[in-house]
Amino acid sequence: MIGNLFGLLLLLGAGLAYPWLLPGALTVGITILLFAGWATAWDILGGWAGQVSLGHASFVGIGAYFVAIGAMDYDLAPWWSVLLAVAAAMLLALFWGGLTFRLHGPYFTLSTIAIAEILRLIAINENWLTGGATGVFIATLPMPFGIDLFDRLTQFYLALAFALGVIGCVVALSRSRFGYQLRAVREDENSAMAAGIDPTRVKLKAFMLSSGLTAIGGGIYGMMLSFLEPHILFFLLLSVQIALTAIIGGRGTVWGPLVGAVLLVGAGEVFRTTFAEANLLIYGVLILLVILFLPSGIVGEVNRRLIRRRYARSAQG
Amino acid sequence: MAELISLLQNLSNGLLIGGVYAMIGVGLTLIFGVMRTINFAHGDFVVLGMYTAFLFNMQLGWDPYFSLPVAMAAGFLLGLLIERVVLAPIVDKPHETSLLATLGISLIIGNTLLLTFGGESKSVHVSYASLTVPLGAVRISVILLLAGLVTIIVIGALYFLLHRTEFGRSIRATAENRLGAELVGINTRRVQGVVFGLGTALAMTAGVALIPLLFATPTQTGAILTLKAFVVIVLGGLGRIGAAVAGGLLLGMVEVLGAAYVSSAYRDAYGLLVFLVILLFKPEGLFGRTVKRV
Repeated sequence: MIGNLFGLLLLLGAGLAYPWLLPGALTVGITILLFAGWATAWDILGGWAGQVSLGHASFVGIGAYFVAIGAMDYDLAPWWSVLLAVAAAMLLALFWGGLTFRLHGPYFTLSTIAIAEILRLIAINENWLTGGATGVFIATLPMPFGIDLFDRLTQFYLALAFALGVIGCVVALSRSRFGYQLRAVREDENSAMAAGIDPTRVKLKAFMLSSGLTAIGGGIYGMMLSFLEPHILFFLLLSVQIALTAIIGGRGTVWGPLVGAVLLVGAGEVFRTTFAEANLLIYGVLILLVILFLPSGIVGEVNRRLIRRRYARSAQG
Repeated sequence: MAELISLLQNLSNGLLIGGVYAMIGVGLTLIFGVMRTINFAHGDFVVLGMYTAFLFNMQLGWDPYFSLPVAMAAGFLLGLLIERVVLAPIVDKPHETSLLATLGISLIIGNTLLLTFGGESKSVHVSYASLTVPLGAVRISVILLLAGLVTIIVIGALYFLLHRTEFGRSIRATAENRLGAELVGINTRRVQGVVFGLGTALAMTAGVALIPLLFATPTQTGAILTLKAFVVIVLGGLGRIGAAVAGGLLLGMVEVLGAAYVSSAYRDAYGLLVFLVILLFKPEGLFGRTVKRV
């Protein structure tokens, strides 16, 4: 617990120092922080509750589109739109999970892809709702206290707050009753039921929390892009990126998704000139390496080694 | 009368496209039935077949059907290699592990194609592309007919292999009960390698048959086809070949009829909707018994 709080302080410090150290790479910084937040939020469902979703791009899309349409059509300030988006995302997760949590393992994963694809087709085809395939453009945003929301630095701090908030949530979760219920359901649903836990209820809560948090990041992402296209925001490969970031970093660990985001977004940046738009190649290679050699992810494997060493030492006396 | 003819026209198109979906689905269901692997790279193998035909057409001017033997052999070897290196070590892990591993393979294939051939979509133009055969008032396109023919031959050959040869018997035994098969002396590791090779070869064959019809883009076509293949095999009932054929034909019809009579913008959504409904309410498939066999 102390270690986790220290980690949050460290992230805050690094985040505050980043704009001074690398003022030219703010967009990369925002992307790392957003992916860290999304992957951590994904991990609440995918890692702590063990339900691998490949449909989280839907919630990113909901967040971004609520901000854009709120600003353009209803003159709504982004903070209100984000609140609405969170409510909508949680409602969708409630419905979605209620429908599909009777499926297990890979079947649940397949169903999330199917639902996310249907949502993407709706976003592309329903012009009255989303502006259709051509997309929407955010032209104006309000300026609270004279802060320009289109400014990259502002967006960086927003993304930092988002990542800190989500990781803070998971730090709290890791020691809470709910966190233990999630892990019990992940390990064995029947045993969890025998201990008086309702697995579907617990999974639904995890899905709603995960989707709501993802939508907040989606809102920030929408402001960063300012031009939204449904094939990008609701895209299967965005869902895949979010999930793989968390899995490569370490599922069910507090810091794994952040480590994954730094590693993958950073690597994407380093190899930008070599691979151009084929940067998902890195995700493919790393997920294979992780599955074959580090089955619990980078942070998970480090944790396992540390625990083994501590145990060996205590056993020696 | 005109409506009847257009209905018949749509039905015949749906049936023939469904035949190709069936060929894709059969490979996937074979792999699932024997190895219990959710193969997420299946659509990318189809795309790889498309690019094989494209490459030979561009370099040597071959008709896509000439490159069929090359694509089948390459697919078999590639599948064998992937099974040995990636899938064999994780065969006893939870299902999710193989799903994630094949997802990684899918990303590697798609992005390697993107790096090699660039992002623009590719197709092969054949001289007989616009030819049709009249069947009463209905006109059937020659390339669809050829694709359907390939499907029938390939699935027939597969049926022969599975039900009329000793090796086919060992494949079916492994699918039914891996431990039991090992106990009677079947080398199940070899069976699994060959099955993954066969599945990959089937996918690449389907790709070659599809290239005169469809455009191939490196990273997107694969994902779409993987989804379709899953729709096909869940529709019929996982792990059974006859069911995958029925599922493929059904998906082809649902898509064509949905596009013609409801809305063509949602063409890809109809299959997914049916897929969800079946997963949720009849997970053993439309024609399913709960026992899964090849």
